[in-house]
Amino acid sequence: MSVFKDLLWFFKQEKRSYIWGISLLIIVALLELLPPKVIGYVIDEMIKKSLSGKTLFFWVGLIFVNGLLLYLFRFLWRRLIFGSSLKLAKQLRDNLYHHFTKMSPTFYQKNRIGDLMAHATNDVQAVRETAGAGILTFVDSIILGGSVLIMMAVSISWKLTLISLLPLPIMAILTQYYGKLLHQRFHLAQEAFSELNNKVQESMSGLKVIRSLGQAKEDIGAFKNQADIVVKNNMKVARIDALFDPTIMLVVSISYLISIVYGSRLVISDDITIGQLITFVTYLGILIWPMLAIGWLFNIVERGRASYDRIRSLLSIEADIKDSDQALQKLDMGVIHYAIDSFTYNEESNFKLSDIHFRVKEGQTIGIVGKTGQGKTTLLKLLLREYDVNQGRISVGDMNIKNVSLHALREHIGYVPQEHFLFSSTVKENIAFSLINATDEDVYKASEIANIHNDILDFPEGYKTVVGERGVSLSGGQKQRISIARSLIKNPNILILDDCLSAVDAKTEEKILRSLKDERDGKTTFITSHRMSAVMHSDLILVLDEGKIIQRGKHEDLVQIDGWYKEMFERQQLEELVQQGGR
Amino acid sequence: MEQEIDISRQKKDLFRLLSFLKKYKVLLFFAFVFLFLATACEMYGPILVKRFLDDHLMKQYFPKDTILMLFSVYVVLMIGKIILSYLQLLMFQQIAFKVVQDIRMKVYEHVHSLAFSFFDKTPIGSIVSRITNDTEAIKDFYVSVLATFIQQIVFLVGIIIAMYSLDVKLASICLGLVFIVYFVILTYRKKSFPFFMETRGQLSNLNAKLNEHLQGMSIIQAFNQQKRLQSEFEHVNESHYQAGVKTIRLDSLFLRPATDLIYTIGIMFVLSFFGIASFSNPVEIGTVYAFVSYLERFFEPITQMMMKLSLLQQAVVSSARVFDLMDEEQKAPVQEGSNSPKIVEGSIDFKNVSFAYDGVHNVIHDLSFSVLPGQSVAFVGHTGSGKSTIMNLLLRFYDVKDGEIRIDDHKLSSFQESELRSNIGLVLQDPYLFVGDIKGNISMYNDAISENDMKEAAELVKANEFIEKLPNGYDEVVVERGSTLSSGQRQLITFARTIAAKPTILILDEATANIDSETEEAIQTALTAMRKGRTTVIIAHRLSTIQDVDCIYVLHKGRIVESGNHQELLAKQGLYYNMYLLQNKGSLQLAE
Repeated sequence: MSVFKDLLWFFKQEKRSYIWGISLLIIVALLELLPPKVIGYVIDEMIKKSLSGKTLFFWVGLIFVNGLLLYLFRFLWRRLIFGSSLKLAKQLRDNLYHHFTKMSPTFYQKNRIGDLMAHATNDVQAVRETAGAGILTFVDSIILGGSVLIMMAVSISWKLTLISLLPLPIMAILTQYYGKLLHQRFHLAQEAFSELNNKVQESMSGLKVIRSLGQAKEDIGAFKNQADIVVKNNMKVARIDALFDPTIMLVVSISYLISIVYGSRLVISDDITIGQLITFVTYLGILIWPMLAIGWLFNIVERGRASYDRIRSLLSIEADIKDSDQALQKLDMGVIHYAIDSFTYNEESNFKLSDIHFRVKEGQTIGIVGKTGQGKTTLLKLLLREYDVNQGRISVGDMNIKNVSLHALREHIGYVPQEHFLFSSTVKENIAFSLINATDEDVYKASEIANIHNDILDFPEGYKTVVGERGVSLSGGQKQRISIARSLIKNPNILILDDCLSAVDAKTEEKILRSLKDERDGKTTFITSHRMSAVMHSDLILVLDEGKIIQRGKHEDLVQIDGWYKEMFERQQLEELVQQGGR
Repeated sequence: MEQEIDISRQKKDLFRLLSFLKKYKVLLFFAFVFLFLATACEMYGPILVKRFLDDHLMKQYFPKDTILMLFSVYVVLMIGKIILSYLQLLMFQQIAFKVVQDIRMKVYEHVHSLAFSFFDKTPIGSIVSRITNDTEAIKDFYVSVLATFIQQIVFLVGIIIAMYSLDVKLASICLGLVFIVYFVILTYRKKSFPFFMETRGQLSNLNAKLNEHLQGMSIIQAFNQQKRLQSEFEHVNESHYQAGVKTIRLDSLFLRPATDLIYTIGIMFVLSFFGIASFSNPVEIGTVYAFVSYLERFFEPITQMMMKLSLLQQAVVSSARVFDLMDEEQKAPVQEGSNSPKIVEGSIDFKNVSFAYDGVHNVIHDLSFSVLPGQSVAFVGHTGSGKSTIMNLLLRFYDVKDGEIRIDDHKLSSFQESELRSNIGLVLQDPYLFVGDIKGNISMYNDAISENDMKEAAELVKANEFIEKLPNGYDEVVVERGSTLSSGQRQLITFARTIAAKPTILILDEATANIDSETEEAIQTALTAMRKGRTTVIIAHRLSTIQDVDCIYVLHKGRIVESGNHQELLAKQGLYYNMYLLQNKGSLQLAE
C-alpha cells in the first residue's frame, strides 16, 4: 500500500479530481445499498397488504431517481479517476523523455533500448493502473464492503450476518492459494511459450542448413513436440484457472443456503421480516465484488510499486555530461587545440588515448587514419563532448570546451557519425534536421555538395519521400550522403566526418570531397576514413595506433617514409585495381 | 504497419477460424451438454428458494420430509452445478488449445515448403511472430471470446427460460430489456471501433517515436534538437492522452454504468408489476424474490461479453496475419517429371546459366563450366561477383532463369528433393549450431546415421580430438548458436555433420573471418580429408587454401574471366595474380 504514499505528489496535484472522484465513489457505494432495502420494504408491505398506489409509486420512483444518480455519479467518477490516471501516465512519459534527452552515450551503452522502452510502456502502464483501478478497488472494497456489512448487521440481524458470512473467509483463503499455484503454473506456461519462440527463431535462422540437410520433416517434428509441451502447460494452467468460478459459486451458494435456513428461523421467531430476509440475500450478492476486489487490489499494488520504483530510480540517474554552473552561453570560433595527456572510458576499459597534441587552424582540414579500433572516432567524440576529457583539455579559440554550454559548443559543429541514422520523416526534414525552417534552396544546396541531390529527385516522391525505418529502404551510400547533407545545412564552422564515405565509391568520394573543399573555404573540417584517398588532400594527417599518434604530416611527406601510411596507401591502390577487374 | 481490415475479410476469417473446430465435434458436443446441464442447475436454484418461500415460509408450514427434500435437492444441484461447470470450462479450453495447435502446425509446415525468395524479402521476426504471437492471440479468441460468448449466451437463455416458467408477462417485459441492452452494445461497438483503432494507432505511434528518438539520441544531442523533438514527442503523447480520455468517456456512457441503469429499470418493472398485482390478489413473494435474483445475474453475462470485445478486435488482426502466411504461394522448387534419377558419380554441368534474384538484374550471366566426378573446383571473386549464387542454384534453392544445370547428365529439376539433400553436402561460411548436444548436431535427427557413422565422421575431420577432451564428450551440451565453443571448434562440428551423411558432392562456402593459425591448420586438414573422392565445389575467399584444386574459376560481375589451376593463373599475371598479391604481403612485382 506504500505505493499510494509514493504517488501522493500526484494525488495532491490532481486533488480536485481525486477528492471529487473518491467522494463520488463513496456516495455511489452508499446509494447502492438503497435498492435492496426498498425491495424489502415493498415486499413487506405487499405481505401486510398495506401497499397503495401512492406508496408503490414513491418506492419505485425512489429507485428510479437513485438509478439515475448512480448512472451520473458513476460516469463522473470514472471520468475523474480513470482520466487522472491517464494524466499520470502522460506525465511520467514526458518526464522520462525529458530525462532521456539529458543522458550521455555512456548511459545508452549501459541501458539497452528494449529495457528503456519497457520502462516507458509496461511500467508506466502498471503505475497508471495503480492510480486508477487501484484507487477504485481500494475505496470500493473498504467502503462498499464495509457499508454493506454494517447495513446487514445493524439494520437486519448481526447474528444472521455473522453465521452466513462464515464460509466467505474460506473463499478468500482458497482463492489466494489458487492464485499462488496459478502464478507458478503460468510462469511455466510462459517459459514453454518462450522456448517455442526460440525454437522457431532458431529454425528460421538456420533454414538453409536444415533444408540442405533435407531435415525439414524432422524439424517439424521437433516443433510439434515443443508445441505439445506448450499445450500441456496451458492445460495445467487451465485446470487451476477453471477452479476460481466454481469455488466462488460453491462458497456463495453455501452462504445463501445458510442465510435462507437460519434466516427462516429468524422469520419464524419474528426477529426479522420476510422482506428483510430478501434484502439480506440481495446484499449478499452485492458483497461478492468487494471481496474479489481485495485480491485484485493486492495484485495491482504489488505491480505498481515495483514499476514505480523502477521509474523513479531511472529518473534519478544523473547526467554525466552536463553544463558546468558557470558555463558561458556563447563560443567564439578559433584555433582548435587538442592537449590530451590521457583519456580512458572508465576504469575497466583497456582502451586509452595518450599524448594527443595537435592544433587545427581555422579553415584547415585534418585527416585521421589508423587501424580499426576506437581511437579515431573517440578523438572526434571528445570534441563533441560525448565524453569528457579527464586528463588534459580541448579548447576552441583558447576557451576550454568544458567551460561553455553544450548548446553553444554544438551550435558550431556539423556531425556525420559512422552509423548513418535517419529519422522516419521526409528526406527534406531529415536534411533540415538542425534548421527546421530551412528553405528548399538551402536543402538543395546541401544535397548537391553531398552529391545526393539527383538521387533524391529520382526517389518516388522526391524530397517528400519518407525514409528511415518506416519508409523506403535506401542503400548504405545514399544514407551516408543524406547524413552528410544534414550536417551541412547550417554551414557549420566545424565539420566532423567520421568514416562516412565508406559505402560510397571512390569517384563519388572524390566529388564530394572536392565540393566540400570549394564550399567550405575558411571553415574547419575533421575527417576520418579507412581510405587514404579520402584524407590525401588534408592539411594535416594523423595516424593513430593504440590510442597514440604514430605518424603525422602531409600526404606527400608520409608516402616517402616507410610506415603504416605508405603501406596502406599502396595496398588500397591495388585493391582498387582488383575491384575494377583490372589485369 | 496497421492495415485496415474490411468487414468482408473479417467475416471470411471468422468462418475460417470456426471451421477448424469441425475436427472436435464430439468433444464440443460433450462440452455443450455439460454447459447446458450446469446452467440448468444454476437456474433451478432460485426456483427452489421461491418454492420454499411461498409454500412454506409464508404459510409457516414445514413438513419435515418436504423441507428435507428441498434442502437435499438444493445441495445436489449445488454440487452438480459446480462439477459440471468446472468440466465444461475445462473442455472448452482443451478444445481451444487443440485447435490452436492444429493451426500452428499447419502454418509451420507450410512455411517449410516456401521458397527462399520469400525468406529473402520477409524479415525473420515477422515470420516468427506470426507463428507464435499471432497464433497466441487466436488462442485467446477461442478461449476468452468464443468460449465465453457461448457460455454466457446459454446462461442468458437459461435465465430467460426460467423467468418464463414463473410468469410469462413479466418475463416478456424483461425480454424487452435484452433488446435494449443489445441495442446499447451495437451502438457501443460501432462507436468504439474507430476509437479503439485510434487509441491503438496513437500508442504504436508513441512507442515508435520513443524508440526512434532513443536510437538516434546521439544525433539529437549533437545537433541541439532536444527541445524541438521533445515537443514533438509531447504532442504525440497529448494526442494519445486525448484518445484515451475519449475512450473512457465512451466506456463510461455505454458499459457498466449503462447496464446497471437498465438493471435498475428492470427492478422497477418487477416491483411495479408485482406491486400493482398485489392490490387485487395476494402475490407469491417467492416469485418476486426469484425475479430479483435472476435480474441480478442477468447482466453479468453481458458485461462479461463486453469486456472481451477488445480481445476480439486483436484476434481479428492476428488471424488475418496468420492466414496471409498460410496462403503464401511462393513455394520452393519441386521435382519435375517422375523419373527420380539417382546421383551416382557426381558430375556437374552448368550450361549457359543466368540468374537474377529479383528476376530482372542478372547476378550471373551465361555461365558454363563442368566438373568431373571426384574433381575439385573453386570459384573466386570479389563480393557480388556471383560466387554464392552458384551454390544456391546447385542446391536448387532457386531455379535458374536461363540455361540448364545437370548432375550425372540428368537435369537438376528431375531429381527428388530427398535425393539432392542426401547426396549434396553443404558447409556454410557461418557454422550454425543448434541447441542440444554435439552428438545431435552431427547426426541432426537423421535415423540413417548411426552412432558409429557419427563418430567416424568426427574422426575424419579430426573433431574427435577436442570433443573427447570435453567433460561430457559427444553428449556435451550445445547452447544457443554454440557460443561456448570456439569458432574453430564449431566449424569442425559442422564439417562432421556434413560428412556424416556421406554425400557424393560437396559444396564448401569458405569462412572469411580471420582465425588463428592453429585452428586454420586444423580446418585445412579437415577440408582436405573431406574432399578425397568427392566432387567438390569451393567458394573461396582465401586463395592460399585452394592451391591444389583441379580448376579455379575467377568471377567478375557474374562472368568467368579467367580459369585454370593455381600455377597457370599465376603465370597469366592477370586478375587472379593481383588478388593473390593483395592477400599476401609478399614482394611480387605489381602488374600493370
